[in-house]
Amino acid sequence: MIGRETSDDAGVYRISKDMALVQTIDFITPVVNDPYDFGRIAAANSLSDVYAMGGRPLTAMNVVCFPVSSMDKAVLREILRGGLDAVHEAGAVLVGGHSVVDPEIKFGLSVTGVVRPDKVLANAGAKGGDALILTKPIGTGVLATAIKAGLISEPARRRAVETMATLNRKAAEIMSEYPVNGCTDVTGFGLLGHGLEMATGAKVRITLFSALVPLLPEALDAVGMGLVPAGSFSNRNFCSHRIVGAKRIDPVLLDLLSDAQTSGGLLISLPEEPAASLLQALKSGGVADAAIVGRVSTADQGIIELE
Amino acid sequence: MNEQVLDCRGLACPSPVLKAKEIIERNAVARLSVLVDNPAARENVSRFLARMGYAVGFLEEDGAFRITGTKDESAVACEVLEEVKNQDEVQTRIAVIIAADRMGKGDDTLGGKLLKSFIGTLKEMGPELWRLILLNGGVKLTVEDSECLGELQSLEREGISILVCGTCLTHFGLLEKKQVGETTNMLDIVTAMQTADKVVSVM
Repeated sequence: MIGRETSDDAGVYRISKDMALVQTIDFITPVVNDPYDFGRIAAANSLSDVYAMGGRPLTAMNVVCFPVSSMDKAVLREILRGGLDAVHEAGAVLVGGHSVVDPEIKFGLSVTGVVRPDKVLANAGAKGGDALILTKPIGTGVLATAIKAGLISEPARRRAVETMATLNRKAAEIMSEYPVNGCTDVTGFGLLGHGLEMATGAKVRITLFSALVPLLPEALDAVGMGLVPAGSFSNRNFCSHRIVGAKRIDPVLLDLLSDAQTSGGLLISLPEEPAASLLQALKSGGVADAAIVGRVSTADQGIIELE
Repeated sequence: MNEQVLDCRGLACPSPVLKAKEIIERNAVARLSVLVDNPAARENVSRFLARMGYAVGFLEEDGAFRITGTKDESAVACEVLEEVKNQDEVQTRIAVIIAADRMGKGDDTLGGKLLKSFIGTLKEMGPELWRLILLNGGVKLTVEDSECLGELQSLEREGISILVCGTCLTHFGLLEKKQVGETTNMLDIVTAMQTADKVVSVM
């Protein structure tokens, strides 16, 4: 049903009239110093692709690279323990995995889930007149750099770690009760990049209300300090010719909007009226940072407008 | 004068910034040159030096960039002034709400003329003028025989966004006759008011 063509989050394969498989794999290099936290974050990041397609994860397999000869195996155990906790929190089962000896640590999951074929949420579903809801604050890319550099306060560090380790499960479950047209999760291409994927796939214009995008504490400071990862600059440059209104935005905020996210939130497109009540439901359901961050119109195709 | 050169070629972000930070923290450097070989590092290091109060200059040499940060009393003062000015430029956004086809009460013919002159003069706000929102009788300004149409079109050409209330157009039966601006709804209007730094209302 969904393959490689549309830059979607996961592949979807119909196996019967009312069931389709959702499959995805993702692994990352450490974004935080604590191995247990890294395990939770990498697993939440992998599971998120299933949620973004409207699916429910069933089974997961570890994918891990580790320098067995030069690093304490206790670190590996902690990473795997973090991953397992996230898999259990998702209500899924860990059924195996594969490891490779590698000088650089990498960890993630291959996840298999299910979705009803009529409930698949693709990027391309966004429609004119929709509002866009983002379910997590942004800034994890630049804050991961700040964490490595030790240039972040302890409360801001803890907040960034918990944001990344939070599963998109709750948001996805609440969203499933609403007439959602399209959804993606915000990860490596940043809010601008994934917004642009949605605008291109759905042939619409997306207007982002830059002042209303929820930001993690100290993220703007970290950008101002020059801690932007190279990938986030590539995102900004890659998107720039399809973005209008960038000149009106503070350049520091613009960099944050293109910041590569790890385990970011869901970007949900649905008609305005139910959007307001979905936002309420998310907030009262514990997805406290959710916000309406944009709207969709048919004025252009594949364009992001910044306000 | 205490001067240092830091070669960060071959290093990916954020290493160049961290190395520069280490040097600055170890001793007060009056002049620091950092060599980098990728645009991301150039942007990050420049930003970092500016944040630390250095006046920043660039030089491109053999595919690498030399970023030079200089610090003395006057340079610091300039840098701070520059920053404040830039922030002003990007941050102030004025939204003007026009909710009638004339300005003020007393005489309607006069009110119509005043509004035409008001819209024509709005560009004097300069780049701070961000958006016009036309509501209720204000939507009548967007149709062909409106005296204000020319002024509105010229604002739109200059990049001022014009939002026209769809409910109001429908109410007056003007949905097909609108010649300028984007038909919009109350959510857009409310978020525009929230996003703007200043909202000016004409009744």
